[in-house]
Amino acid sequence: MNFKALLMGATWAIGLALSPITAIAQNSGGNLVYLVQPEPPSLASFLSTSGPIGLVAPKIYDGLFDYDTDLQIVPSLAESYEVSEDGKTVTFKLRQGVVWHDGAPFTSADVAFTVMDVLKQVHPRGPNSFREVTSIDTPDDYTAVFNLENPAPYMLRALSVYESPMVPKHLLEGQDPRNSDLATNPVGTGPFRFVEWRKGQYIRLDKNENYWKPGLPLLDRIVGRFIPDASTRTAAMENGEVMYGAYGAIPNIDAVRLREMDGFSVTTDGYAMINPMALIEFNTTEPPFDNPAMRRAVSLVMDRQFLIDNIWFGYGKPATSALSSNFDKVGLYRSGLPNYPATGDLEAAIKELDDAGIMPDADGVRASITLDLIPYGEDWRRAGEYMKQAMKPLGIEVELRYEDVPTWLNRIYADYDFEMNVNYFYQLPDPVLGVHRHYGTDQIRQGTHFVNSSRYSNPKLDALLAAGAQEPDATKRAEIYGEIQEILATDMPVANLFEMEFLTVYNDKLVDHATSAMGAYGPFENASITE
Amino acid sequence: MEGSKRRARYVLKRLIQAVPIVLAIVVLNFFLLQLAEGDAVDVLAGEAGSATPEYMAELREKFGLDKPLIVQLGVYLKNVVTLDLGYSFRHDMPVSQLVFDRFIPTLLLMTSTIFLAVGLGIVLGLVAASGLNTWRDTAISIFALITYATPLFWVGLMLIVVFSLNLGWFPTSGMEDFAMFYEGWDRVVDIAHHLVLPTITLSLFYLALYTRLMRASMLEQAGQDYVTTARAKGLTERRIVFVHVLRNALLPVVTMAGVQVGALIGGSVIVESVFAWPGLGMLAFEALFARDLNLLLGIFLLSAVLVVAVNLVVDIIYSTLDPRIEMA
Repeated sequence: MNFKALLMGATWAIGLALSPITAIAQNSGGNLVYLVQPEPPSLASFLSTSGPIGLVAPKIYDGLFDYDTDLQIVPSLAESYEVSEDGKTVTFKLRQGVVWHDGAPFTSADVAFTVMDVLKQVHPRGPNSFREVTSIDTPDDYTAVFNLENPAPYMLRALSVYESPMVPKHLLEGQDPRNSDLATNPVGTGPFRFVEWRKGQYIRLDKNENYWKPGLPLLDRIVGRFIPDASTRTAAMENGEVMYGAYGAIPNIDAVRLREMDGFSVTTDGYAMINPMALIEFNTTEPPFDNPAMRRAVSLVMDRQFLIDNIWFGYGKPATSALSSNFDKVGLYRSGLPNYPATGDLEAAIKELDDAGIMPDADGVRASITLDLIPYGEDWRRAGEYMKQAMKPLGIEVELRYEDVPTWLNRIYADYDFEMNVNYFYQLPDPVLGVHRHYGTDQIRQGTHFVNSSRYSNPKLDALLAAGAQEPDATKRAEIYGEIQEILATDMPVANLFEMEFLTVYNDKLVDHATSAMGAYGPFENASITE
Repeated sequence: MEGSKRRARYVLKRLIQAVPIVLAIVVLNFFLLQLAEGDAVDVLAGEAGSATPEYMAELREKFGLDKPLIVQLGVYLKNVVTLDLGYSFRHDMPVSQLVFDRFIPTLLLMTSTIFLAVGLGIVLGLVAASGLNTWRDTAISIFALITYATPLFWVGLMLIVVFSLNLGWFPTSGMEDFAMFYEGWDRVVDIAHHLVLPTITLSLFYLALYTRLMRASMLEQAGQDYVTTARAKGLTERRIVFVHVLRNALLPVVTMAGVQVGALIGGSVIVESVFAWPGLGMLAFEALFARDLNLLLGIFLLSAVLVVAVNLVVDIIYSTLDPRIEMA
């Protein structure tokens, strides 16, 4: 009786749920099921840089460039490019014979439309990446000429499929890109085409048989699964039901266990374009953190190595500057700055406060503050508990506050109702793209998230940031950013904590999934499953 | 004839009574949800990384969030009356479609759980009561106590560890095999295969409840005068238990099951989360954190309607089980 009822229920549900999926021959490359966590709000990567969108959309679209693991430019939709002598004209030669998933040809008109009418208008970071672009000429179908107001060397680092996906003009023209069908039914030129999205379950992409890279992609199908519970995600990985999980989909505590098991690997590769940095933002407009000595003292007292070793299981690198040491590759990083001890320096911190005349009261308390924590998981809560302990000997009494995402965003970026906030920022492949937004006076934008919430304003720094953005000469640019880092290490509107290392956990049967700098935000065209 | 007419009139009356109740629930929920800080636009913009205030204002206008509360409520009520549940801007889909898609897995899980929990609970309670204070009774009571006291998520994870990872009998999560995408009967079998662990997990908790309720109810009925009368008439013990006592003892169990159908929709959030079961509970949970109020209200409305409907059904079952209970 029970079984019969169950079966009847199931049959009924299936009758309703069956969708017209055509059977696809199973052959060579195999089907990859990977973790997408959490479920994305849409697949509009031209509108939103939300993490889970980045895990799916770059498989469907293409960018003008890709970047190899040394961050060097690799041609993608653009076969070559040329920058004029004065740096104010960039000419892209586009690949011929590329078609959209609906069969229409890809041309320079798509590039001009994408940059001018979509990315520059509605993308969260596009207005910044392309801010110098005044117009784009399309002398023929396969040439796009970007005319710039000022030289913009950083722009060439923002052309990946994750950051600046090329979208089809013929499907978006004449509509509001924020309100188009493309958001949930994407059409790109990429290695996989969108098939189906079942809310709460999966997104399915099938091989694009007409992909412009000959013989690729190798996989027949990619399915992104949503599993809300972290322990279950790990179990599904262990059981072989999913083969790939990036951006902490498998928590570090489980990743270190899987690392020791046969058949699984853990890597920190594939995040160089993202450059995530954990940090503390101070409210520099109100006591007690309007005093730079307080901010320096907090930075001095933090044992960054302790946080990394004990909370992030050894994954991470103590921050030593406002810029990540990953910028060393392009010469912008400066080492040996003050106020960034790796393991904390309580004595120096106390001296800092004493010298500034911030003295403890009868109970040994110099200041009582509330520390807000980014509500993105338990790790941050534990980090907060450590910081509370760490600041106590300094005479700073800390109360922790952990709220849900909308409440927290409102507090930090709209109401500015905070004193000290733990957060993390993506520094991206160039400081103009990811770091300027944290410090510039023009980035004090009430209501906009992940910009200058410290409300730090320094005309000298603003001038340096503007100069750094436009300087085409590498040596001069390094000088400018060196000076910027000196100022920030002294004024410390934001205390960087550590360069985060996200973990990718994968089944060893899956090979060649990290052939570009984009890692999980990349196209996966070379990936395949071996038995 | 007279009876069925009266029954129809009763059902109609109850349905009419339900309308203001459901509307009141909607209005109450609407204001309750306004108490939460931030709105859907904050969440969307936050996830996007950076968004201009102009863009956010534009979004608010598009979503209708810039209007005064009372206007928003009026618009929503007007839509509900015309059976339009509105639009989820986060999912970019009509709420009714979203809710319906997720209602089917919930219904599957709920139905299988109710049958397993109530069915097995009744049997175990009966066995325990009929062998009062024997080893069977003790064993069943201890079993019930343990399953009732164990947290659901832990049971779920342990079942995954034992039956998925160690034995490999069942998949860890999801409703289907997403590498293969089976069709036809293979798909039915595949879904049933995926349904086993979540059903057992969710059932265990309720099973304990029904077992204990059934046992107590059986014992209470066994002491009643009518049982003594039946015995005096010379009926067999078997007939007394199954025909007389059981029917009366079922009433509290049915009441409980009715109340819990409503709770099961929300109460399965944990099980849905652990097994990645794509049901309504998870949808509501995510909608709350995304401040997707249209969607949340839609789910609450559906739950309210379901609870009202199930209560009506329970009342009808009452009168069948015990003809003395009249419908009026």
